[in-house]
Amino acid sequence: MSTRSGRFAFDVESFQWVGKKLGFYGSLFVLTLVSMFPVIWMFVTSIKQPANVVQFPVHYLPQNPTLENYATALSQAPFLRYLVNSAIVAGGTAIVDVVLGALAGYALSRLRFQYKLHVLLLILGTAMLPYISRLIPLFSLARSWGLLNDYLGLIVPYSAFQLPFAVWIFQAYFKELPDSLEEAGLMDGLSRIGVLFRIILPVSAPAMATTAIIVFIYAWNEFLFALTFMTQDQMRTITVGIALYQGQYQYPWGTISAAVFMSIVPLMLFMLFFQQRVVEGLTAGTGKA
Amino acid sequence: MTDTVDHAGGSPGDPSDGSVSGVRSRLRRYRELRLTEEELATALLTPVVCFLLLISFYPIVDTVWGSFHQGYVLEMEPTTFVGLENYEAVLSSGSFWNALQVSLIYTFVSVPIELVIGLGMALLLNRAFTGKYVVQAAILFPWALPTVINAKIWAWMLHGQYGVVNDLLIRLGVLQEPYAFLAHPDVALASMTLITIWKTSSFMALILLAGLSGIPDHLYEAVRMDGASRWRQFRDITLPLLKPTILVALIFRTLPAFQAFGLPYGLTGGGPAEATTTLVLYDQQLTFTQLAFGRGSAVATIITLIALVISLLYVGTLYEPEVR
Repeated sequence: MSTRSGRFAFDVESFQWVGKKLGFYGSLFVLTLVSMFPVIWMFVTSIKQPANVVQFPVHYLPQNPTLENYATALSQAPFLRYLVNSAIVAGGTAIVDVVLGALAGYALSRLRFQYKLHVLLLILGTAMLPYISRLIPLFSLARSWGLLNDYLGLIVPYSAFQLPFAVWIFQAYFKELPDSLEEAGLMDGLSRIGVLFRIILPVSAPAMATTAIIVFIYAWNEFLFALTFMTQDQMRTITVGIALYQGQYQYPWGTISAAVFMSIVPLMLFMLFFQQRVVEGLTAGTGKA
Repeated sequence: MTDTVDHAGGSPGDPSDGSVSGVRSRLRRYRELRLTEEELATALLTPVVCFLLLISFYPIVDTVWGSFHQGYVLEMEPTTFVGLENYEAVLSSGSFWNALQVSLIYTFVSVPIELVIGLGMALLLNRAFTGKYVVQAAILFPWALPTVINAKIWAWMLHGQYGVVNDLLIRLGVLQEPYAFLAHPDVALASMTLITIWKTSSFMALILLAGLSGIPDHLYEAVRMDGASRWRQFRDITLPLLKPTILVALIFRTLPAFQAFGLPYGLTGGGPAEATTTLVLYDQQLTFTQLAFGRGSAVATIITLIALVISLLYVGTLYEPEVR
């Protein structure tokens, strides 16, 4: 707010301006570097010659970069299979939660009925309780239903755990839609179900994408249930596969780095392309005045 | 809500009057075989509620039940009621109290620090600038990393002989020689806490950023007129209005932190000497390594109770109905 009375004042101001800009972008740069460094480091480790992985002092630029660690990872352990398992489980969970979340979210946000609050409290209340307190009973259920080492054995609990979240995103989204949508549909002679399937669901693609992405990331990352329910090597998800992988002689950091980097590439692409959806999903219904 | 159409299912309007609701009720009679709102809601919600009751709710009840029994899950022997025996066994075990302490330290050190760092990040990002999209994606990336894979990444970076962290600290002159961070109890727990702070501060920032964007600009302009400093603006407007969002962020982070499992599992396996054995890791080992299902259920029940208490405490201390 200074008055630009003379040249000197103007100079001081522009100096301050440059300083502020530098400070701002400097902080951003540091934040970004600190956030990404571990991933960059896994990549650097993964393309080193296997013999050069364990060297000290550390080489920051790999000499003669190679894909050997990747070849080892893909041949020694079924890492590709783990990735496919994870994709099936995460994809299945996302589909179940999009369908159930959309239907329940619609009922809770746009229909009037008794006990609405009770149903909402039940759905959201289950989200507050620790996962470990469900592990043992679900383990015995899965065993008696023959769902251990079966994709469904993970899809079912994951869907149930993330359903409150899905319902929350959908009902927040549906609340924003104008009332006239249903009215117009009913006037045109559609039934309520017709309105839901022909009008409401087609316009809820953004909420579907948001839910699918968040649920997918959760299921891709989950470890406790995946470790407990998938006991056969061929059925393991990528998180369990990497956590349990042991080399033959010493711990194979090069191979692990390659496997880790392969497992996080999909997530990186997700974050880059769908960041807005992720942000929307995580902040649905919070703090938006 | 003045002249909008009233929803069907509630009170049907008089069909003879010319009002919109009258027309609607005629339409409804015309389609008597069609569902009312109430029926459709029931049809949509019943499967969802049943699914949740069976998969999410019943297991918790079953765990509580199991905590009062012996031989639960193991089909070899019949289940017998043993009263509080499992709880006595758990509460008299040093490992349980150690795990409780580890979890509490880990949770209540990491979450407040995450809140402060997250708030700083949110204030930094709360403006438009070139490259915001990429920066935000990069900052949020640690949150998307699978916890156990993140644990492996840091186990490698903190490696006592070849770790890049050791190399950097030696180059910076902080250390003389490589230090085995994960082999010393206190340092291992501190490392684990720092890793979590690194991973989830951005998540905190994201939630708070949503809260910041909900604060109307004209409030700031009003006090700027009065010549209030940056700090005063922050203290008198930002913080009070951000309180509900902070509450949400705290709950969203405290409950998962209290259930930490993948990080100690992948980083240290709970060692050295149980220094990083969190409650859930302890419970998982008790249940699936020692096959003590009764005691495992007792610990799970205790974890659930503590989680409930934490939630209630937060809501009780920070919740203010109607800030005016």
